[in-house]
Amino acid sequence: MIPVRCFTCGKVIGDKWEAFKKRVSEGEETKKVLDDLSIERYCCRRIFISHVEVMEELLKYVKNSKNTKNMIT
Amino acid sequence: MKITILEQNGNSLRFVLSGVSAPFANAIRRIIMAEVPTMAIDDVMMFENTSAMFDEMITHRLGLVPLTTDLDTYLLPEECDCESEFGCNNCRVSFTLDVKAEAELKMVYSGDLIPENADVSPAVKKIPIVRLANNQRLKLEAYARLGKGLEHAKWQPVSASTYKFMPIVEIDTKKCDGCGDCVKYCPKNVFSIEKLKPVVQNEINCTLCMECIRHCPIEPSPIKISHDKKTFIFYIESTGSMPASKLVKEAVKILERKTQSVIEQYKKVK
Ligand SMILES: [Zn+2]
Ligand SMILES: [Zn+2]
Repeated sequence: MIPVRCFTCGKVIGDKWEAFKKRVSEGEETKKVLDDLSIERYCCRRIFISHVEVMEELLKYVKNSKNTKNMIT
Repeated sequence: MKITILEQNGNSLRFVLSGVSAPFANAIRRIIMAEVPTMAIDDVMMFENTSAMFDEMITHRLGLVPLTTDLDTYLLPEECDCESEFGCNNCRVSFTLDVKAEAELKMVYSGDLIPENADVSPAVKKIPIVRLANNQRLKLEAYARLGKGLEHAKWQPVSASTYKFMPIVEIDTKKCDGCGDCVKYCPKNVFSIEKLKPVVQNEINCTLCMECIRHCPIEPSPIKISHDKKTFIFYIESTGSMPASKLVKEAVKILERKTQSVIEQYKKVK
């Protein structure tokens, strides 16, 4: 899960993650998206560009989940 | 002493404070960071958590959610008359959260926290807390209280509280040959060219980096950079618990109270 706040400066960044992920996956330039979302400092920016969503992977292993149909449970 | 507001949008505030000493400006900056109380979730009662995340991790994430703070209605637990460990209606606010993912994956957001008092509610509603797979459920009761940044960073009302000296940039136009290197190398675009000579257009943006002087071919450089030791440019960025301007007011009140107590103690000694 994306951290609620920046580790270094404490700015609330969690709420901007979904917009960031959507826009970047649609092919927008990362720099432009971060500027648009007013993530100015590099301490906050590095969290966005280096974040890996592990939760999505974990949820594939939940029993009887729709997403696990093709997996061994 | 004089305050001029330069810029105020959303949660951030930029202003000039002039006619004060550096220790005074720093006192205000530090009180804003560490001593203005804000609300944050401190105790959580878990009723059901079948999510992929531990109770402690969810609780930690909830604690970091900024809550709108009403300093007139609520008291710090250490200043409250109730003296109870658990708190009373004057020093504690409760929230409930109950989210269940039925058939689809579901995200729990900070906005799903339902406050008992609408004046204290999550300032940012779209913070993801945890993602639930189908049939997973998160049910809890959370208790928020006032606290200070001194104790834990979750009570810090700002994500940036900074100041810098007011820069003074001067160019001796008689000595300058108008090569334009200072315009090219200044990272903050302080200079611009007018009639083949550089002029100062954005003095306030200067960070005193001296890059212009380093790249100036004339020795000694016609550019002179100094700063006004009695004027400060403040930048305050609130997390959303209170407007930045309110934070400054509260900080000044706290500083006044502290100074007053020193004066009273001093009188007793005498
Ligand atoms: Zn940051
Ligand atoms: Zn109380």
